[in-house]
Amino acid sequence: MRRTAIFFIVILAGLTIAAAGLVYAQLDAGYYSQKTLGALAQPAQPKETDGATYSVAAYPLYTPQLAPGEGREAVQSYCATCHSTRYITMQPPLPPETWAAEVNKMVNVMGQPIPDEVQPIIIKYLQTHYTPETRKP
Amino acid sequence: MNDLPSLSRRGLLRMATTAAGVAAAGGFGAVTNLLAQQSQSPDDEKSLPAFTGPSQNPYWNSVGPIVEYPQKFPLVLLTDRPVQLETPRHYFETAFTPNGAFYVRWHLDEIPNSVDLSAWRLSLEGSVERPVKFSMGDLTSKFKPVSVAAVNQCSGNSRGKFQPRVAGGQWGHGAMGNAKWTGVPLRELLDAAKIKSGALAVQFQGLEKGKGPEGHASHEFLKSLDLKTPVLDESIVAYAMNDQPLPMLNGFPVRLIVPGYFATYWMKGLSWIRVLDTPDENFWMKAAYRIPDTPRGNTTPEDVKGGAVKTVPISRMPVRSFIVTPDGESKLVAQLPVMIRGIAFSGYGSVNKLEISVNQASSAASALPVKSWTAAELGEDHGPYSFRTWSYAWKPSKPGRYFLHARATDAKGNVQPDEGVWNPGGYLWNRIETQEVVVGRAG
Repeated sequence: MRRTAIFFIVILAGLTIAAAGLVYAQLDAGYYSQKTLGALAQPAQPKETDGATYSVAAYPLYTPQLAPGEGREAVQSYCATCHSTRYITMQPPLPPETWAAEVNKMVNVMGQPIPDEVQPIIIKYLQTHYTPETRKP
Repeated sequence: MNDLPSLSRRGLLRMATTAAGVAAAGGFGAVTNLLAQQSQSPDDEKSLPAFTGPSQNPYWNSVGPIVEYPQKFPLVLLTDRPVQLETPRHYFETAFTPNGAFYVRWHLDEIPNSVDLSAWRLSLEGSVERPVKFSMGDLTSKFKPVSVAAVNQCSGNSRGKFQPRVAGGQWGHGAMGNAKWTGVPLRELLDAAKIKSGALAVQFQGLEKGKGPEGHASHEFLKSLDLKTPVLDESIVAYAMNDQPLPMLNGFPVRLIVPGYFATYWMKGLSWIRVLDTPDENFWMKAAYRIPDTPRGNTTPEDVKGGAVKTVPISRMPVRSFIVTPDGESKLVAQLPVMIRGIAFSGYGSVNKLEISVNQASSAASALPVKSWTAAELGEDHGPYSFRTWSYAWKPSKPGRYFLHARATDAKGNVQPDEGVWNPGGYLWNRIETQEVVVGRAG
């Protein structure tokens, strides 16, 4: 009796999949992304021995590629001390003078010690790749 | 008080799509087909662009990827270090924003992963008669808890709408949330330390630190409020958010709640309350988070270049409202009734009027201004600084493209304007938003 029931459930399930297949065959289906965003280890359960300590796991980094070109290494080494370079790619395309002002602010207000001879290289890089005229999708 | 978040429509959709894919492949042996599709990485053309501009961000949220962070539901990424995450639109269907969905905005990159409450203390210092340190146990046992429902909104919420665009966090509309905050009135803590006469301001510092050199804005984040500001008597030091401990990314163990004010003052991981007898001249007060001293904080790039724009520290939030659903991502059906739902709030007191306009879009007419408005039904009033939900039943009569608008009025009579605002910080955006929807034929 039970076997018959299971048999019918299996048949029913098969029919459902087949029906779903008929419906979805006409649609766009079965795309899977290779990207690994969101792949984060699940946290362990807290232990009683943690006492008064409250913890979370490491904060994941999602740092994008910067446009290849001269000056990229300077940007990566000097601009990523306090913040990731996603601060650059998140911005809308900005006019050349705004990028110059941003770099000047980082040096003069925020105190980032970028050598005098490197500052123009960084400004040039940002202006070459991240203005309304130059930014690529 | 707090509604549980329902599974999002988008989430369900995603699950359904995956199930469909598996069913199709399993049922018809289409695995090879599947692999071919995968190698072409078709997701790029089906994803939002990686950035928007120089025109306005046309989307409700910002365009970053959806990411996972500790104690958080999947949120929209602005930046990964320091962490800035935006709340997806559908979480605003309820008056209270779930802690897991609440947006995140830090200024400096060394933020706590771990706090030892046996060592942590909230310190009251500076120009006070009795400097004092409180443990978490002191805060929960020595003071009677108070609660307030209050909206926390980033000063730069909706910055991506500015024209011309301005530098800064390119938020959509999701850098906001509403919670029930529970803790100790700030005034009781100040009284316990007894402010010295002649003091001017109270400064707040939290657990975040930056890698920049000492004495610079990149090293520490400090905010202060004038001691004469009435909001000090409404502020609380909160140890609970929606009846739960605060998520680490939202300011565990305690944060300052400044009802009606923009979030820049709501110090996370609050650990130092410092009474000052001289004006606070630090960068975060003197240069950042300032708005033009003009109606609505409006100015122009030309006036800013001219150097004549007088500024004041940002404070209260102007009245806003949002249509949350329908969100325009799916078609509606002619003659099928639909409930338009959303939220509204103001830093100047309760929203007591919410109006809706529905207009069929014609190529000649622009979306705004709208000529006629109809009252929507307001949801429960959770207090003057909370989100207030509202709803409006609509039956689209015929197929076509429609513009939906919502307009809120607050207790002080402030009404949302038709026009946007512009200032160099990207602050105070509160115009009436347009939601476009498409209605299809019933048969």
